[in-house]
Amino acid sequence: MNKREIAIHVPVLARVEGEGALDLHISGDRIDHLHLRIFEPPRLFEKFLEGRSFRDVPDMVARICGICPVAYQMSAAHAIEQAFGMDPGPWVRDMRRLFYCGEWLESHALHVHLLAAPDFLGFPTAIAMAQKFPEEVRRGLQLQELGNAIVRLLGGRSVHPVGARIGGFSHAPSPEAAADLLARLEAVVPDAEALVHWVASLPMPDDVQAFTCVSLRHPQEYPMNEGRLVSNHGLDMDIRSYRERFSEFHVPHSTSLHSTLDGKPYLVGPLARLNLNMDRLPPAVAKNLAATGIRFPSSNMFHSALARAVEIHLALLEAIRILENYRPAQPHIAPTPRAGVGYGCTEAPRGFLWHRFEMDGQGRVVNTEIVPPTAQNQARIEEDLRRSLLAFGLDQPEEALRLRAETVIRNYDPCISCSTHFLRLNLERQ
Amino acid sequence: MKPLVLGVGSPFAADRVGWCAVEALQLRLGDALAFECCDRPGAHLLSLLRGRPCVAIIDALLGVTAGSLHVLQPSDLARDAGTAVHGFGVADALGLAEALGDLPPRLVLIGIGVGAGEVLPEVDWDALAAQLTNLLA
Repeated sequence: MNKREIAIHVPVLARVEGEGALDLHISGDRIDHLHLRIFEPPRLFEKFLEGRSFRDVPDMVARICGICPVAYQMSAAHAIEQAFGMDPGPWVRDMRRLFYCGEWLESHALHVHLLAAPDFLGFPTAIAMAQKFPEEVRRGLQLQELGNAIVRLLGGRSVHPVGARIGGFSHAPSPEAAADLLARLEAVVPDAEALVHWVASLPMPDDVQAFTCVSLRHPQEYPMNEGRLVSNHGLDMDIRSYRERFSEFHVPHSTSLHSTLDGKPYLVGPLARLNLNMDRLPPAVAKNLAATGIRFPSSNMFHSALARAVEIHLALLEAIRILENYRPAQPHIAPTPRAGVGYGCTEAPRGFLWHRFEMDGQGRVVNTEIVPPTAQNQARIEEDLRRSLLAFGLDQPEEALRLRAETVIRNYDPCISCSTHFLRLNLERQ
Repeated sequence: MKPLVLGVGSPFAADRVGWCAVEALQLRLGDALAFECCDRPGAHLLSLLRGRPCVAIIDALLGVTAGSLHVLQPSDLARDAGTAVHGFGVADALGLAEALGDLPPRLVLIGIGVGAGEVLPEVDWDALAAQLTNLLA
């Protein structure tokens, strides 16, 4: 019997956003202790929002995340508009989907090329990888930059955009600006198709697990801004019923809340979305994915990276479709505040982002709840780490265990600052 | 093409000093240079550098005497993938640009000390303008 005892401490997890750590204690062939420690201080946005006008909310919630501000703005806008009983109409709906395409493009391209791919190709950093794979990295940066350009078109700037408001957008882009961006997007469609095949060819671990996937599902389209919450285990609920089945709770080692569905961990994000919405892919995206030979739904957690590449292709084609039909219009409708409660749930790049806003009759926030995707994935990450390391073999060298653990965590593209409501590995082996 | 002066930072507290530097330099050196402010650009910095013959980047230096001016080399910057926005800061972006052969032929890095980073420091903008003029001459 293996009597080796080791303790691995990763005090700073690289290539993730925010601050957290992993503590791992192994005794022989058993994991005694595995904690994803999140010590970044709580950010208290829910309390900051109380008493603020609906007009302030989009700019405030955008500050929760530098990578996915659009998601926060969209979930909040939908929730407040529901509370006010307003529908901004089809033009705003299309522009919000375009806005979201930009965020998926920039966030996914960043993660695939700069954060995840070095793990699969055996490089310590994206910089080291770029010396061997310069064209692939350039392609990724170009796709990311086009995502930023879409966000700038509607949001005025790519980081913490300011163009979104309750009821729509502050301005309608000019036809010339939309046409210029459309031409740039059309030029890179072959790059997005090639990216899917490149990611499918990366040497990923074959780590098949059983897990519960949860995402939005829409009757006609791949989900971004709207839909019902569904799972691969029969869940199918209105977003307003979220609290009936989902629970959030504190654990001693994390400032981020853990989440469960019916008491069990679950996965949100691109793999969950793709597994649950394969039949909503545009035909060109489905055909390109099928040509890789990799089948979805997939139980290999590392296929999250491929799911991101597929969603890059999808977001690009969706953005092109919307821009081909673009006509400027009145960019917003004026809100009429009324007291009430509203719910918003949209698909951030890392998974669904659920908001509940209670508003008063003057349009001020009475209270709010914000449930970000990385917090929802935390319990699943710990579950995945335990299973992955056991499958990898606890008798592996300490450095190999550390790298595998970090690879598993980075595969989720955790956004720790958002979740604080998150990494440094501390491994003890005895 | 005019040399580009890039102020890197964010809108709040001491991290705004790169943006303030751009505002002050525009007043003093306006016509000779192009200016841009960027909010924690991450990998977007590469697209701002690409094709430019000469770029000066001005950013805050945490833990250094407030208001002091420092001419830096890319190798002076610590690549700290654990703390920058999504693990990718200015040093990482410059490292990636170098690996891809996309660094401008002339790159000037100026750091402005911001102490503990809580408040915007007092800076001698005339001295900064004179230093930048000399570096770009």
